[in-house]
Amino acid sequence: MTALRSTVARLFGKMVAEAPGSPPADFTLAPTTADECAAILDMASEHRLRVLPWGGGTHQGMGGRVEPNVVLITTRLGGMSEDTADLTITAGAGIGAAAMEERLLERRQTALFPEDSGVSTVGGMVASGSSGWRRLRYGPTRDRVIEVVLATGDGRLVRGGARIVKNVTGYDIPRLATGSFGSLGVIVSVSLKLWPMPEAAATVRVDDIGAALIRAYRPLAALETRQGCAIYLSGTPAEVTAQVAELGGNAEEGHAWPGRPTGPFVVAIRVPPASTAAAVGRLPRDAQFVAAHGVGEVIVSLSPDDGETPLALRSWAEDLGGAVVVLAAPVGHGFDPWGTPPASLDLQRRIRAAFDPVGVMVPGRMPGDR
Amino acid sequence: MPAAANLVEDLRRALGAEGVRAEPLDQRLFSKDAGVTRGEVVAVTFPRNAVQVSQVVLIAARHGYPIVARGAGTGLAGGAVPSQPAVLIVTTRMDDVVVDEANRTAWVGPGVINLDLSRRTASLGLHFAPDPSSQAACTLGGNVACNSGGPHCLAEGSTVNHVLAVEFVDARGQILTVGGTAPDPAGLDVRSVVVGSEGTLGVVTRILVKLTPNPPAVKTMLLAFSKVSDAAATVSEVIASGIVPAALEMMDQPMVRAVENFVHADLPVAAAAVLLAEVNGHVAAVDAEADVIISVGRRHGATEVRLAADERERLLMWKARKSAFGAIAQIAPDYYLHDTVIPRNRLVEALEEIYAIARRKDLLVMNVIHAGDGNLHPQLVFDGSVPGQLEIVKSAAVEIVEMSIRLGGTLSGEHGIGLEKRDLMSLVFSAVDLDAQARLREAFDQDHRFNPGTVLPAGSRCFDFGRSVAEGAWV
Amino acid sequence: MTVWQTKWAPTPRELAACVECGLCLPHCPTFRLTGDETASPRGRLNAMSAVAAGTLPLDSAFAEVMEFCLQCRACEAACPSLVRFGRVMEGARAEVAAAFPREGRLGRRVAGHWLESPRAVGVATFGAALAQRIGGRHWFPRRLRVGLTGLRRLPLRRRSIRGRDVGAGSDPVATVGLLAGCVMDPWFAAVHEETIGVLVSAGYRVVVPDDQTCCGALAAHDGAADDAARLAATNVQAFAGVDLVVANAAGCSAHLAGYGHVVEAGTELASRAIDATVLVARAIGAGRLPQLPSNGRRAAIQDPCHLRHAQRVVDEPRSILRAAGFEVVEIDPDGLCCGAAGTYSVVRPDTSFELGERKAAQVRAAAVDLVASANPGCEIQLRAHLGSGVRVAHPIEIYAEALHSARDHDLAGSG
Repeated sequence: MTALRSTVARLFGKMVAEAPGSPPADFTLAPTTADECAAILDMASEHRLRVLPWGGGTHQGMGGRVEPNVVLITTRLGGMSEDTADLTITAGAGIGAAAMEERLLERRQTALFPEDSGVSTVGGMVASGSSGWRRLRYGPTRDRVIEVVLATGDGRLVRGGARIVKNVTGYDIPRLATGSFGSLGVIVSVSLKLWPMPEAAATVRVDDIGAALIRAYRPLAALETRQGCAIYLSGTPAEVTAQVAELGGNAEEGHAWPGRPTGPFVVAIRVPPASTAAAVGRLPRDAQFVAAHGVGEVIVSLSPDDGETPLALRSWAEDLGGAVVVLAAPVGHGFDPWGTPPASLDLQRRIRAAFDPVGVMVPGRMPGDR
Repeated sequence: MPAAANLVEDLRRALGAEGVRAEPLDQRLFSKDAGVTRGEVVAVTFPRNAVQVSQVVLIAARHGYPIVARGAGTGLAGGAVPSQPAVLIVTTRMDDVVVDEANRTAWVGPGVINLDLSRRTASLGLHFAPDPSSQAACTLGGNVACNSGGPHCLAEGSTVNHVLAVEFVDARGQILTVGGTAPDPAGLDVRSVVVGSEGTLGVVTRILVKLTPNPPAVKTMLLAFSKVSDAAATVSEVIASGIVPAALEMMDQPMVRAVENFVHADLPVAAAAVLLAEVNGHVAAVDAEADVIISVGRRHGATEVRLAADERERLLMWKARKSAFGAIAQIAPDYYLHDTVIPRNRLVEALEEIYAIARRKDLLVMNVIHAGDGNLHPQLVFDGSVPGQLEIVKSAAVEIVEMSIRLGGTLSGEHGIGLEKRDLMSLVFSAVDLDAQARLREAFDQDHRFNPGTVLPAGSRCFDFGRSVAEGAWV
Repeated sequence: MTVWQTKWAPTPRELAACVECGLCLPHCPTFRLTGDETASPRGRLNAMSAVAAGTLPLDSAFAEVMEFCLQCRACEAACPSLVRFGRVMEGARAEVAAAFPREGRLGRRVAGHWLESPRAVGVATFGAALAQRIGGRHWFPRRLRVGLTGLRRLPLRRRSIRGRDVGAGSDPVATVGLLAGCVMDPWFAAVHEETIGVLVSAGYRVVVPDDQTCCGALAAHDGAADDAARLAATNVQAFAGVDLVVANAAGCSAHLAGYGHVVEAGTELASRAIDATVLVARAIGAGRLPQLPSNGRRAAIQDPCHLRHAQRVVDEPRSILRAAGFEVVEIDPDGLCCGAAGTYSVVRPDTSFELGERKAAQVRAAAVDLVASANPGCEIQLRAHLGSGVRVAHPIEIYAEALHSARDHDLAGSG
C-alpha cells in the first residue's frame, strides 16, 4: 500500500482533492481531462482498487453502498459547447446541470434536466438516469443522451454515439451508460439533444387527475401531492390558454413544481402508469409524496423505522412488473436498495465485464451486487 | 446448394414441415432484402413463438450454422442478408398484438407490420409513432433491429424511444425479457442495446411498445423553392426558431418528378426543391406553428406554399414522400442509397457538396431528406449493366459519407450498418471504440452466432488488455 | 440464351423495373396468409428473374410459386416503380403452361376454348340449374361447391342479350357496345338487363354485337395466352363500330383495358374500353342520371381487385350507391382479394376459402344487409361465404332498382 501511495502521489498528486459528503477513501482524486481520468482507472484496474465516481453527490444515496479505495471526483471535467443552434450540446461531466440549464434558457432552450437539480452535475444526472417531472411529455433523460465518452473501468476511452439527433451507427452505448451508476466506467463528457423552451407555461389545479390526464393533450406533467393535483402545460400562448379553459380553469401562470420529498428514508415506487393512483392509495396516511401520473412513479418519504410498509409496497409493485427503489436511506438500513434483481442479471454482469473486466467500478452498487 | 439434410430434418421436427423451407428457390428468394447485397441461405424457418425460435437457435448451433433474423425484408443495408451460409428466422408468423389501453402500450410480435399496429389502435386514438417510409410493409421486429426512424421521429424520436421492453432469445437459447411497463427498470438498460443491434445480439420474439395519442389537429404543407439552398436554409432556420415540427422533409427536383409520375398529386415539378412540413398537436397550436414555417419559407424565397386542404390531400402528400425510393426505378434500373446524418445547421453545405460529387463523377443524384433531423438520403441512380458504373457509384458514395463525417455527422441515421457500411465504421470510430462495441456484442453472443460479419468490421476485437474478471469481483 | 419458350415471356425490361423495395408485400393476399417471401409479388418477380438468368430452373417449384398468385394485381397499385405485374404474371403463366403442357390442361382448356362456346356454357348452366333445383350440390367435387352455393338462381332455358340494340332512337350521347361475356350472359342476366336499362336512361345507344366472344381474361390468367389472343382478336372485330366498349364485370373490363398486351390491334380497343360503373358514375355526375334522396339504409362496398387495383376505379361504385340513396360503408382499407380470383377458387379451394372467410368477416363486422360488388366472381364468393342474411348485388343493379322504385313511387303519387 505504501508503494501504491507513492505511485499515486507521483502520478496523480496534483489531482488530490476533496468533495463534500464523499465517503472516506484511500485516494480522492479530481482529474481535469479525459486522459487523466482514464489513467486513474487504468491504475485502479491494475491494482484492483474499488472506484466510486462522484459528481455533485446528489444521487449517491441510490443503490448499494460502495466502500471505495478511490473516489473519482468528476467536477473538474469541464467544457461546454457554445453553438447550440442545432438543438444539441456537448458538455464535460462536471458541468453543473443547473448552470447548463441557465445558459440554455438564455437561448430559450432546455436539456430537460430535473427542475430542482441543485448541485447535480451533468455527468451525475446521466449516470443516475435522472429525469425531471417533464418526462411525461418529453420522455426520460435517456432519450436525449446522444453521445458519451466513457473512461472504462480498465482505462480505455470509448466514445459512443455522435452529436447529431438521429443515429444508428453502432450499438447504443450512450443509452447503456445512462443509468449505469458508474458500473461501466466514468462518464467524461456527454452530448445531449435539446428542446426549445415553449413560450407559455401554466399550472392547472385539478380535482380528478385521472380524468384531467385523459382530457389534456400531452401535458408536461400530471403531479399529485398531499396538497392536491395539478396538470402542467406549456406551448404557444394560444394553446396554453385553450388547454387551461378545457381543463376547467383554476390555473396560475408558470410552473409551480412541487419539492421532492425529503427525509432520512425516501423511495421511488415505479409501476405501470395506470397503477399510479393505486400506488398513492397504498401510502401511509401522513407520508409526503409526489406522484407522477402517466409516468408511473411515486416518490415518497417513509419512516425509516417502519419495516413493513416498504416491503408491502415492494411486493405489490414487483407483482405488477414494477419496483421500489431506494433514493436515500440511513446507513445500515436493512431495506434492499433495488429489490429483486432483474432476470437478465447474468447478461448485465457480462456487459459490465466488457467495460470493466477487473470489476473495479462501484462494486456493491448495482442490483444483485450483494 | 441443397441444405444439409440433417439440419432440415431437425428443424422440421421442431417446427413442423410447414415451418421450414430449404429448396433452391427458397434459398434464392430469401437471400436478399431491399438493399443491394445478396447472401447465402441454407434453410428458412418460420417459427411461431419464442420457444420455437429457441429451438431453431439451438439446432442451428448444433449444426454449426449462424442465425439471421428477417422480417419483411425491406431493409436497405443488408441487415437481414447472411454474410455466410446461415439459417434464416423469418418472423412474419409471430404477429400477435395485445393492447393495454390503460397504460397505452402493446405487446406485439416482431412480425406485426408497422402500419397495421397503428391501424389497430386507431379506434383508441393511439398510434405507434415511428413511421419509416416502408411502414406499410416493414415489421416491428425490423424496426427494433434497425432502431428505425421515419419522418415523424423528428418530434417523437426513433423506435428506441417507443420500445419499453423486448423479449429475445439469446445465443444459449434462453428467453429473456428486458425492460418493462414501469419506468426506469433497475440495472443496466439492456433493452436500449438490443434495439438497434441489427439482429446481432439475439432474436427478438416480443416487443412492448409505447403508443402515442393521435394529435387532435394536423397541418401539412408543401413549400416549393427555386433554389435547393433556399429550402435547406429554411430547414436550418425553422429548427433554430424554437418550434419542433412533427416532420420536415425535403425532396429535390428529380425526386419530385419521379414520384409525381406515380402519385399524380400535382406536385410542383418545376421547383428545384420541395419541403414537406407537418405540424401537429393541440388545435390552438398548429396554426401558429404552421405560420412560423411558412413565414420562414417565404423569407427564404418560397415560390409556392400549399396547405393540405383535407385528409385526402394530406395523405397524398405523404404517399408522394413515402414512395420516393421505389419510384426511382422509373429513372434508371439501379440505385445506390445512402443514409448519412449531418448537423442540421450544415444542410446547405452538405447538399452543395453532394451535387458537386455527383457532377464530378458524372452521376445523377436524387435527394430525399429527413431534413428536420439532418438525415440525408442521397440516391445515386445508374445502370448496373454498364461496366464500371457500380464502382464509380460506390466511390461517390464513400465521398458522401466522408463529407458527412467531416461536417460532424455519421454513417447511418435509420437504415443501419448491416453489411453495407460495416467497413466504413472506422471512419467514425477509433479502434478502441470498435473494440468496445465488439466486446459488448460478445457479452451477448460470445461465438458470433447471430448475424455474424455485420455491423462491425472484421478485426474489431483487436485490443486485449490481458486482464480477466477478478475472482469475487461481484461480491 | 433463354429458357423462355413463348413470346409472352416476361421481358428483361419488365423484370428490371422492380427495385425490390418490398412495398407490395402487405398488399398481397398470399403473403398476408403465409408471411412467405416466395408467396409475395417481389418474390415471384425474383423467381422469374432467376429463371430468366438461368440461376433457377423452370421447374415445378417455380410453377407452384407462379400458380399460388391470385393475379389480383393489388401489388400493381402499390408499386411506385410501376411494375406491370399483371402482364408479367400472365407471361410467366404462359411459360409455365408451355413448360408443363400436361399439367393444368383442363383449366386452360376450359378457359381457352370452353368459355367461348355459348353452347358449352349453356350445357354447364343447365347442369348447375338442375342441381340448384333438385339439391344435388353434394354430388359435385368440393372445389366446385362454393361456386355453386354462391350462384344466383340459374334459368333452365338459355337466354342471351346478344344481338340487342336499344336506345338508338333519341339522338344518343354515344353508342356503347356491351360485352355479354361468357358466363355473365346466362348467369347474371338481371345485371345485364339493368345495365342496359340504366345506360339507355343515361342517353346511350346500347348494342350487344352478336359476333363477340369471351373476353379471354381467364385464358390469359391461366397461361393460355395464344387462346387469349385469339379471343381478343375476335372481339376487336366485333366491337369495331362502337364508340365505347363496356363491360359490367370488373375482370372483363380490366382485361379489355389491357388488350394492348394481348393482341397488337388491341391497343385501340383498349382506349375505348370502360367499366360500366365508370360510365354510369359519370352520367350521374353529369346530371344525365338522377341522384336519389337518402333512403336511410347502409350498404357495404366490396372492391373487385380488377376494378380497384387493376383499373384504380374506387370512387365510382361508391358514388353510384350514394346516388341510389345509400350510405356507403367501407369494409377493408386495403381492398384485399376475396379469394374468388377467376378460376382460383376451383384450382386452389383452400386458399380461396380462407380469403373468402376473411372477407365475409369484414362484411359481418360492418353489420350491413347489402353488399355491392361489380364482378361476378366476387359476387359468387361473397354469397357463398355470407349465406342468406346479406344480399350481394351489382352496384348498377342496386341503382336501377332504386330508380324503379322511385318511378313507381312517382307513378303512385301522381295516380
